[in-house]
Formats: sequence, structure tokens, C-alpha cells
Amino acid sequence: MSVSTMKKLTVFAHREETDELIRRLVRLRCVDVRTAEISAEQGIGRYDRETAGVGSEDRAAEVEAAMTVLSRYATRTRSLVRPKAKVDMDNFLSDGSADRAWQVVKRTLATSERQSALRSEIAKIESLREAALPYRAFDAPLGMTETERTDVLLGAVPAGVDMVALGKELYGAGAVAELLSENAAGRYISVFCCKSDTEAVSGVLSSYGFVRATFRGVEQGAGTYLRRLETSLSSMREEQERLEQSYVALAEELESVEILYDAVQTELTENACKQQMASTEATVLLSGWVPERAQKRVEELLAKHVCAYELTDPTEEDNPPILLQNNGFAANFEWVLGMYSYPKYGRFDPTFIMSIFYFIIFGIMFADAGYGLVLILACFGGVKLLKPGQSMERFLKMFGYCGISCVVFGVLFGAYFGDLPLAIMRNMMGIPEAELPNLALLGSSAANVAVLFDPLQNPMGFLVVSLGIGAIHLIAGMAVKFYILCRDGHPLDAILDIGAYWLLFAGIVMIFLLPTAGVWVAVAAVVLIVLTHGRSEKNPVMKLLKGLLGIYDLISYVSDLLSYSRILALGLAAGVIAQVVNILGTMGGASVGGFIGLVIAFVVGHLLNIAINVLGTFVHTSRLQYIEFFGKFYEDGGIPFEPAVPSEKYTEE
Amino acid sequence: MTFGELMNLIFTGNNLALLGAALAAALAGMGSAKGVGLVGEASAGLLSEDPSKFGKALILQALPGTQGIYGLITAFLIIFKMGILSGSPATLTVAQGAYFLMASLPIAIVGYYSGVKQGKVAAAGISLIAKRPKEVGKAITSAALVETYAIFAVLVSLLLVLFASV
Repeated sequence: MSVSTMKKLTVFAHREETDELIRRLVRLRCVDVRTAEISAEQGIGRYDRETAGVGSEDRAAEVEAAMTVLSRYATRTRSLVRPKAKVDMDNFLSDGSADRAWQVVKRTLATSERQSALRSEIAKIESLREAALPYRAFDAPLGMTETERTDVLLGAVPAGVDMVALGKELYGAGAVAELLSENAAGRYISVFCCKSDTEAVSGVLSSYGFVRATFRGVEQGAGTYLRRLETSLSSMREEQERLEQSYVALAEELESVEILYDAVQTELTENACKQQMASTEATVLLSGWVPERAQKRVEELLAKHVCAYELTDPTEEDNPPILLQNNGFAANFEWVLGMYSYPKYGRFDPTFIMSIFYFIIFGIMFADAGYGLVLILACFGGVKLLKPGQSMERFLKMFGYCGISCVVFGVLFGAYFGDLPLAIMRNMMGIPEAELPNLALLGSSAANVAVLFDPLQNPMGFLVVSLGIGAIHLIAGMAVKFYILCRDGHPLDAILDIGAYWLLFAGIVMIFLLPTAGVWVAVAAVVLIVLTHGRSEKNPVMKLLKGLLGIYDLISYVSDLLSYSRILALGLAAGVIAQVVNILGTMGGASVGGFIGLVIAFVVGHLLNIAINVLGTFVHTSRLQYIEFFGKFYEDGGIPFEPAVPSEKYTEE
Repeated sequence: MTFGELMNLIFTGNNLALLGAALAAALAGMGSAKGVGLVGEASAGLLSEDPSKFGKALILQALPGTQGIYGLITAFLIIFKMGILSGSPATLTVAQGAYFLMASLPIAIVGYYSGVKQGKVAAAGISLIAKRPKEVGKAITSAALVETYAIFAVLVSLLLVLFASV
């Protein structure tokens, strides 16, 4: 439960060492590389801004494009969990496997390029064929528009045209027309006429809605032309087929392409590191942050290279990145802290205390043994089966742990998928209301299976529990502030600013138990606060005013406390919806249909309720931490520690 | 039938209580519908640029949906209390019915208003995560602050209904 101590790393190395050094540092996974300072006067510039990593991005894009294509043809079974390949990257890069994988990528991309060229070629030829098809009966060259003396017109008239009348008119104008074919779209005709008659013939044709078709440059007759088109179409389709087959063969190599993907991505990370470095003609300067516990490993690695390095403590101006260190339980809650903001370097890491309260408050807000069990199974089962990365694993584990808390409080408050046991007894087994069990220890006359009490029957009791845990939470937040003030050497501030309020709270509580003494304790606390709260002011009037304002803080404590009533509201919300689901589910009684109804209502209704309420509970439990709890003491604003690491999407060492 | 008799028929105790249940479900539901709709419009714009942010956008969009649920719960509790679902409805006096009507008002009114307002905050949160996807926690927290008042309102409504003497 602390913020890891960081060391500032500075390395001077020979230019020739750079690639190897960076490769090893990235493999070590514990250096957060930062931009090294440059200075133009001293001849220190940025490391090869122009040349470092040129082309890597293109290569990465090529690998990704090839993977997208190949994954469509992969014959391996689809599954959510694919074990990562165990690969020695050095071997992969040096023994030719990488080159072979590159060949696969190149061939895939070439194939894919040829494929799209083929596709557009085929589309083009098909449209040519479509256009020529109606003129199949035309024997003369399709592209012929005239002979020495005559003009030749090919084209279509609308389907409804009276062909006899058209033929007669054309004959009158001096032309010979022939019907070649017809379909729903129109009638396709050829028209021959003497050049001198062309004008008159054109007039007739356009009055019938004639649209001319042109086949520029086609020297074969329609039949030959169409056969030629069809031959090239079928050979192109064959080639397409062959390309598909070659994809299948290439997809066999998908795994090595995936390894290549990780290799190229790692290269991108390495380049990003290099671009942060400063350099002179012969040397490079790298700076970054290393957690103290990884110091040894970094030193061992650097000792093997020709370089000078130093690891120093951060100074006042530095802003070291934050790496949180927590035990196996609390570490799963670090991301909740991350969603707010990391603590400042060297300040208090509240993860552990927060995780305990998060666990408890989540459990009370979503108190249901059945729902808790679902969360446990889903989350821990997900971790076991999916083997997710660290951040997903922690996300799941956190909700899994919260599920345990839900089971505990669910048993205390008698919720098993809402009131499912009672609903089944009442509606399906026909047990009369009076004979239903009543197990609660506290305040309840109606049927329930709670160990403590049923919140729906005793909401005030539940409100007391909610505000009680809220009071403990707030006092814990103040205690952390108390500890921080003492640690930083301000014990007086701790006693006057925090202790005085505790005295006031104690007095207020005592008023209910020992009225006289309680009043005096409270009055003493108020006097203490009024007299001391303005101690930083010099002007006596301001001192008094600020002292009086100190009492006003009490209002914010009260409003903080009342905010915890949301535990009651959200707890009741989940419970009432569960009851509604159970009523609908058990309506059918003890019949086969009733049982099917129960299963459907159970699965759909309760899953929906879990989804809605896990979101609500997560949001509001987080809020109680962020606003009510952190507001008391938290010094945030740290940037997370993000070491350069090799890409491990498909591989592991 | 005189006008007075008609009024007596309509404004029975049971009908007043049902009016309360209807108002709670309808107004709070309207607030949520409006709020969720606002965020949906904003997130469609974001998703057209970057579909990978769907998960984050969905959480923000779901947030203003809770007011409708609170209204629904209040409505259901009133119906429970009236015994309609157990098949033996109670006959409420006009005063008892009016009690349920009053009890439903906090979540009906605040549910509507906070649903709309929460939707606006969450929609603004969408533009926050468009630029800084890591800050989704802050966007969610700001939107959750608005919901506090709906929670208080439903708390008042629920306690009033649970403690009703029928």
C-alpha cells in the first residue's frame, strides 16, 4: 500500500550500441522512457528524428492488413481463448522465420491486390457483355458504323413500340431495319441506310425513342466478340478460384505472421523510445524512470553494454511516474483509483483502505447471495477460462471479490435472487403465508429468510446500517488525514483540525446516551473549533470569522453522511426489481408451463437486474470513495508509470 | 349522473394511488428516455469516428436510465401495497389514496428533471472521452453527482410507501 520509490535513469551510450541497448531495455519491462533534454548550443540534438523507425509504421500496417485477410481463411477452430505462442524473439528474428513470415505477408498482400484488380476487371467485362448481349444476332463487326455508301445504326427502342409501323416508316425514309432481339427493357434493332437518307432516318428513329448503342473499336461480329468476352471471364474466374486456394495455403502460416505482428509492434515501441533520446554525433543520451525494486536488473543489463549510466533520486522539480504497490487483494482495486487520479509521488496511496470499504459498501448496496454467486462464478471463471491480460484480470477479480461481499450481506439480509425461496414456497408449493419461515433476528413479523433482518420490511434498520458504515468511512478518511498531518510534522494541525471534530462527533453521540455530559463535550468542541480554526490568520477579526466558519464544516460532514443513504436506495432498488421478477416467474404455479416460465423469467429478469445494478452499484460505490472519502485527505495528480514493454498480443516469452 | 357523481367515481382512493404509481413510472421514465436519448445522439457522433469507444459510451448512456428504474420501483411498491398483484386489492379511502399520490411525487418530479440534466452531463462526458478516453472515470463521476438527487427523491418516495398504513 504505497507508491513505489522511483529512480531517475540517465544513460550515455555509443551510437552503435543504441539498437541493442533499447531492445534489451524494452525486454526488461521496467523503464519508463522520457524525453531527454537537448541543447542546440552544445550540439546535442534529437536522435535521428528523420531516420529512426522510418517504414516501421508502414510495415506494421502491412502485417495487420495481411492478418485481417488471412484470419478469414484460417482453418483453425475459432475460440475466445488462444494460448499465446511461446517464442524466443531473438531466434525468430535471426533464424529466418521472420523472413519467411514476411514472405507470407508480401504474398498475401500481392494476392489481395491481384484479387481486387481481378474484381474490377471482371465487373468491367461483365458490363461490356451485358451491353453486347442483345446484339448477338448481328453478324457484321459490332464496331462498324458505316460503309462506303451506307450508315449503320445499332440501338434500342422502348418495348412498347409498334414494330410494324416503325418498319414501314423506316422503309419509307430509305432504310432497312432488322429486329435482333427483344426483352422487357426494349427491342434491339439494326438499321442500314444510304448516307444521303441518314438525316430522314434519324428523324424517324428519334420520334420512336431510339437510343443508339456504340461499340467503338470492336471488329468481330457480335457472336465472336461475346465468346471472347466469355472466355476471358471464365479464365479470370478460374484465377480468382486459384487465388482463394492460395489464401488457404497462406493462412496455414497465420501463426508465424502473428508472431511477426508482435515483433513489428515491439519495433514500434523501440522506435518510440529512440525518438525520445538526445544524441551527439557519436553518443546517445537516454533518460527515464525505473522503480527502485527493479534497479538491480537494470544495472546488471547496463553493465553488459558499453555505456555510462547513473540512477539518482528524484529532485523537487521532477515529476516521477506513479507505480502502486499493493497486496494481492487491494491491487485489484488500483484501477478504481486510476479512474479518479493517481496519488502524487511520495504521498499516501489509499488503495488498501479504499479496497476494504469498496468491498463492504458494494456488498451492502448489492446484498444478494444469489447475485453475488453469479458475480463470483462469472468473474473468477472468466479469469480461469479467458486468461485475460493483467488489467482485465484485475477488473474481473475486483468484481469477483465484491461478489463474495454480496454473498455475505445477502445471507445477513435474506436475499437469494431477491425473495426467490419465499416466492417459490408461496406461489409454486402453495404454502400459506402464515406458515412461511420467519428467521430474522431483528424487527420483523412477516415471512423472510434473513439472518439479521429483511431491508424491505425494516428499511429504517437498513438506513442505520448504511449511515453507520458511512460514518466509519468518513472517520477513516479523517484518520488518514490525521496520519498524513502527523507524518508531515504537523501534529498540532491534526489535533485541532481533525481531533476537535471527533470530539464534536463524540459529544453529539453522547447527547443521546449521557445528555448532560454530551452537551458539555459538544460545547467544548465547538469552542475549541471557533478559537483555533482561524489560527493561520493574523487579523483577530478574521481569526474569529474563520473560526465561526469552521463550525460550518459540520454541515458538509452531515451532508456527506446523508449521501450514504444511497446505499439504502440502491439496495432496495435491486431487491424490489428481483421481487417483481420472482412474482412474474412464479405466476404459473407448480405446472410444467409454470416451471418453464420460472426458468425464462429467472434467466432474463435476474440477468437484466444484475446488469443494471452492478453498473449502478459500481458507479455509486466509486462515487462514495471519490467524493466523500477522498475529499477528506487525498492528494492526487500523479501520472501512471508506463514502462516500454514488448508487444505480447500473440506471443509470450 | 351528475358531475359530482362522476368525480366520485373517478377519484376513488384506489384510483388516486394508481395515479401516483402512473406518475412515478411515467414522469421518471420520460426523464430517463430524454436523458438516454441525448447521450445516444452524442455518442453516435463519437462512434462514427471511433467505434472502439462503444463500451465507454454505453456506460455513459446507461447512467441517465436509472431514474426510470426508480420510478418503476416506486410504482411497483405502490401496486404491491395495494395488493393488486396478490389478487386481493385493498379498498383505499380517498385520504389513503391521496397519501400514495403524494408519496409518488418526489421521484416523479425529481426523476424527470434529474434524468434530463444527467443526460446533458453524460452527453458532455461523451465529448470528454472523445478527446481523452482515459478520463472516462471523471465523466462517469460528474454524471453520477446529478443522480444523487434522484436517489434522495426515490428514498423519500420508497420510505413513504413502505411505511404507509394500509
